Formats: sequence, C-alpha cells, structure tokens
Amino acid sequence: MMRLPRFAYHAPRSVQEAADLLAAAPGETMLVAGGTDLLPNMKRRQQVPATLVGLRQVSELQQIANGDGVTIGSGVTLARLVNHAGVRTAYTGLWQAAAQVATPHLRNMGTIGGNLCLDTRCNYYDQNYEWRKAIDFCLKKDGSTCWVATSSRKCLAVSSTDTAPALLALGAAITLVRADGAREIALADLYRNDGIHYLTRRPDEVLTTIRLPRLEGWRSTYWKLRRRGAFDFPVLSVAAAAKIARDGTVEDACIVLGAVASCPIDVTAAGDMLVGGPLTDGAIARAADAASKPARPMDNTDFSLVWRKRVTRDFVTYALRELRGDDVRDLRRRIARQELLGIVS
Amino acid sequence: MASSDWKNRFRKLPEGHGVGIACSSYLSGAGLPIYWNDMPHSGVQLKLDRSGGVTAFCGATEIGQGSDDVLAGCVAEVLGIQPIDIRLVTGDTDLTPVDLGSYSSRVTLMMGNAAIQAAERARDLLAEAVSEKLERPLARLVFADRRVFDAEDPNVGVSFSEAVCLAETRFGTLGTVGSYTPPKSAARFKGGGVGPSPTYSYSASVVEVRVDPVTGWIDVPRVWIAHDIGRALNPTLVRGQVEGSVYMALGEALMEEQEFRRLPPRLSHALVHKFPSILEYKSPTTMDMPDVVTELVEHPDPRGPFGAKEVGQGPLLPVMPALANAVYDAIGVRIDEVPVTPEKIVKALAAKAAGKPARYGPARFPDVPWPDTLQVPPPWEGGDGKAINEEGKRKKVEGQRTKIAVVPS
Repeated sequence: MMRLPRFAYHAPRSVQEAADLLAAAPGETMLVAGGTDLLPNMKRRQQVPATLVGLRQVSELQQIANGDGVTIGSGVTLARLVNHAGVRTAYTGLWQAAAQVATPHLRNMGTIGGNLCLDTRCNYYDQNYEWRKAIDFCLKKDGSTCWVATSSRKCLAVSSTDTAPALLALGAAITLVRADGAREIALADLYRNDGIHYLTRRPDEVLTTIRLPRLEGWRSTYWKLRRRGAFDFPVLSVAAAAKIARDGTVEDACIVLGAVASCPIDVTAAGDMLVGGPLTDGAIARAADAASKPARPMDNTDFSLVWRKRVTRDFVTYALRELRGDDVRDLRRRIARQELLGIVS
Repeated sequence: MASSDWKNRFRKLPEGHGVGIACSSYLSGAGLPIYWNDMPHSGVQLKLDRSGGVTAFCGATEIGQGSDDVLAGCVAEVLGIQPIDIRLVTGDTDLTPVDLGSYSSRVTLMMGNAAIQAAERARDLLAEAVSEKLERPLARLVFADRRVFDAEDPNVGVSFSEAVCLAETRFGTLGTVGSYTPPKSAARFKGGGVGPSPTYSYSASVVEVRVDPVTGWIDVPRVWIAHDIGRALNPTLVRGQVEGSVYMALGEALMEEQEFRRLPPRLSHALVHKFPSILEYKSPTTMDMPDVVTELVEHPDPRGPFGAKEVGQGPLLPVMPALANAVYDAIGVRIDEVPVTPEKIVKALAAKAAGKPARYGPARFPDVPWPDTLQVPPPWEGGDGKAINEEGKRKKVEGQRTKIAVVPS
C-alpha cells in the first residue's frame, strides 16, 4: 500500500507567513493547495518534501476580484471558477478548460494555482515507486534514462494543465510573491519546455494571483482531447481567443496548444495569419495547418502520437469554427460528452 | 429490432452514422465446480422462529449484483411472505452452507434453486401442521399475503406466524435445508467443466455509432439491448445488470487494453507494461455512457428458479461485435480487434483509400500448436481432477508458443 511519507505541515493564514516558511528551507518545502496532484505524487515518492505549507487557510488567495479585467486568487478552487458567471461570460475558454479538469470531486479540491503548477506527466513517471524502481527509474526522477526516447537527454514529460493554455490565449499575467518582494510576469514566462524544470517559479515563491485583462470584443474557446468525458488529463488541447469586429474581421487572435510538449505552445504565427480578414473556411484551414506544425506529441500518453499529431489540425479547426460563431454543440457533445456553452453577454 | 427502428436505419443512415447488430449466448453457471467433486454447488439453510421470522443462510456473495435480493425473493415467494420479512446471513463461511461464489453467472440459478428447495421443505412442514389444525386438505392450502389459507374458502386460515407456531409445536424447532447440483455435464476433459451449463441466456444488441471520417473519432449515442432472462425476479435489478453489462462492453469495445513494449537490448530488454495504471486502463465514465434501451425477454426456463436465468455477464457479449458492425455500417471499414479506436479507423480508412482491404486487425486467428486435451473423468466416474492420459504422450509444444505482439519502441 502506498502511504504518504512523513512530513511537517504548516497552515499559515497569510501569504507573507507562507513565503517566510518557504524561505526558511526553500529546497525542502513545498506548497500544497487542493493536494490532488501533489499528495498522490508523494505517495508514489515522486516528491518527498520535508515540509508542506498548506494554503487553504490563506483567505487572500481565495478572492475573485473584478476591476479592469479580473484577478483570480491562486487558491480559488476549479469548482468555484466554473460556477462564476462572469468567468463563463467574459473568459469562456478558461471556463471550458476549468470545467473539463478531472472530475467534479477533484475540481472541488483542486485550485487554479495548482492546475497552473501541475507536475508534467509521463507514463514512465506517473507510476508507483516499485514499478519505477523495476525499470531503474527515469530521467525525471531518480534515474538517468528517458524511457520515452532512450536517446533523449531531455525529459519529455507532458504539460497536462488545462487552464494554462486557456489563460495564455487570454493574455494572463501572474504574481509571484517571496518573503522579501513580489514580481508580476506574463503567464507565458512561467513555463519552460523541459519536463523536469517546467516552471520558472523559484522554490521560495508563492503564486498568488492570476490577472486577466478586460477583453472587449474577444471570444475564446478551449478544446480538449482525451478518451473519456471525465477524469483524463488532456493529451492534446487547443485554446484560442480572437477579437472579432462586428463585420467579422479578425483584429487579434491567439492560439495555444496544450499537452504536445513539456509546456504550452503559443502558436503566434497561426494567430497572426488570421488577423485582417474574416474567419473563412480557407483562413481557418491555413491557420490550422500552421498551428498544428509545432505540435510534438511523444509516445507517453494515451492515444498514439501519430494520431494525436494528425488530429491537432482538426482540433484547431473546431476551435476557430466556434470562435466564428458556428453551432458546434453537436461536435462538442461527441468530443467532450457535454456542450460546454458559454454565456453570451 | 422494432425499438431500434432497424429497418429504417441499417444501410440508410448518412455517411459517418451507422447501426450494427449482434447476438450472443451465455452460460448460467458452469456444470462442474472448479475443484473437482460432485457435491452441491449451492446450499441454503432456513431457520423459522415462533415470531414468524425467517432467516436464510447461504454462502452466496452479494457483490452488488443483487444476490441477497434473489435469495430473499425466492424464499418469500414460496412461503407467501414479503422479502422484507426475511433476514439474510450470506457470504460468511463460518455461518453459512457452501455456495461456490459469485462468478460464472451462476448465483441466481443455483442459489435460487437451493433456496426454493429449502423453502418448499419449510412450507411442507407448515402446511402439514396448518392442515391438521384447520382440518382442511393439504392440497388446498395457499401461502400468500403473510397467511396460510384454504384456497376454496380464503377466510379460513392462519397468519404466517401462527403457522410457524403450529409447526414448531408439531415438529419441534424448525429448520430446513436445500441444495442445488447441476445436471451431469458431458465434459470429459480438463477445462470442460466450464461451458456446459444448466441453461443459457440469450442477448441481442443494436449499437448506433457516429464516426468522424477525418479523425476516426467514435461516438456511441445509443445502445438497444434485449436479454432473455427467463424470468426477471426483480426487474429493476435485472435492468441494472443489463445496463451494467452494456457499460462493461463499451469499455472492452472502445478502451480497455493492455499494451506492452520491449525495452531496448542495451537496457534490460524486458517486456514492460506500457500503461501499468488504472488511470490509463480506461473504462467509460457516466459522461461516456450512451442512452441504453433495455428490453427484457421473459421466457421462463424450466431449470431456473421460477424460470430465471443469468443476467450478470451475458448482455455484455453482443455489444462489442454490434459496435464493430455499426462502425462498418457508418464508414465502410472493418476493425477486427478490440478496442475499436480512432487510430485504427484512420488506418483502415487509409488502407481503403489505397485500394487495400478496408480493415484493420489480425487477418485470422493465430496458429496455436494446441496440445492434446487432457482426459479427466467426471467426479461421478471416480475422477479426482487429474488427467488419465499420461503427460509424456502429449504433443511437445516447447519452442512453439504463440508470440506476444510487441509494440515497437
């Protein structure tokens, strides 16, 4: 049976207190919010922190604040985010992404901050200690071989967060707080295409808020590939957002791919191709071709990598059709097993 | 067929949309026990106390399938009382007579028959005592509505608890037993005990699919399933079991798979499980379940308790081939193995476009150097489970084992 290793636990009431606790022993201390990712990993000994700092009692992380856009505390649960009408209306892509994370139970526990910092995944890594030991471990943890591609010097574990691609397409920024200061960075700068060092967050920093700009005239969407309509992590996802004028001309657009690398991939070039014209079938096809090119799925998730690469184009097409205003409910029901309709303001 | 509107759908739906049908049959328990003997496969004990309470003891294991309900239902039906009047002690080998277990779709048929026998023996004791007390002929006594009464003069009767008291006065403390042994199986070789069964259930299924012609993505909006249950002792539970079978079948048809991959020679060269986790060994969720239209066919079987047959596993079987047939109807390609996946459909469509056979999967059953069967006489001929033909006379099969398909790394 897999049991949690021994660890010290602190439950601070403020961000400052949490940051101070991190600063005391940054390499050996980890933050935990919902624990839906970290605690199973600890049972399998992928992470064995000496100290956990629980964030659930830090009330300043639980806020969703309106203003010029919206600011979401990192401790807001995915369930609360999904039930927030303002998010569903103005940031439909984020809402669709959050609504498709795991299961209702896990969304009740898991937080937006936790989902952004979700450990990268790989079928040679997400196993119990004994199984990993039997294959002499892997590059990401305790070993020296990447079993996905044995000649690879780089860990190829997959970025499996749903909310990050959606937030990236919406131009999110985040705040990281440490004991003696804070910094705000673009969410894009949080990620590195490296399965082990996939975050630029320093070990003494607390991710406190996610800030989204006011997006007048923008539409956004999120399409997720997984075998089932619940539980599963994405094995390909497409987040797209576009500012579309009344006459249908695209004024700005952004397409982000998830789960095809160790970080979300912003396909700026494909988004730029759409600007200046309407979302015609031809324009969508050209952008979908361009957007699918950088996808580098590896053989370490569900579905074959060849097929995942192949359908990237189709999923980008679905996303852009939805932004155009097509009725995609039937397609959604088939792919996502639910309609995921946003609210039109 | 009628409920699925088959005639108007088969070969008539637009491209990418299809229906398929398949039928199947399944055993209601194996004719021989796994360990070789000719003792009963299921036993039930009843204890009747003077308050009118009835307790049924049976080793059958309630695993959510409803076997406790079947036990209470069978006893209650015979004694003319309600299932809620009966206490059950099941699955505890310290306290109960043997039942071989919840496998092989055997419990309803075998435990049910044992329960009926025990209950009929109890009923006979009560009837004799009541007959003497009321001075009415045995043959006219009816057990119903928690009473024992004269069928031709229903006002003349006693309550069930009075009947128990009369019988306890007449015979002493009351207890009866019942057991069930299947008819003798024709099997005379090792493994042959499974397959021959007291009776068989029959199922038919129509599956509707929509298949995306570009991605191969499969959606199952609806499944129609008809199951010959013999008689539904509890229709709600039977429908639950049928729908559960559809759920299991869709897992097999669309998702469940164990893939292996060989590590490179410079490493251990070991054959490793590619997805050694239940998270990646997928079965459908509630989100993936289609509408299921269940039709129960009730054709009482003379060997089943009140005509009942199995429902635990049989309705699973037609769904996989019906789904594969529906994919063919939808998009014109055959997938000859489970799970049927979008990747395989895309490959079959590519083969079709290239003028090759429009299918994916093994072309035929693999060659297997089957050894001679091991001859094992049945228990009633003195067999002890060991083969009587010598080990040395069997064909040598070393070095001819079937090869395990290896997913290239």
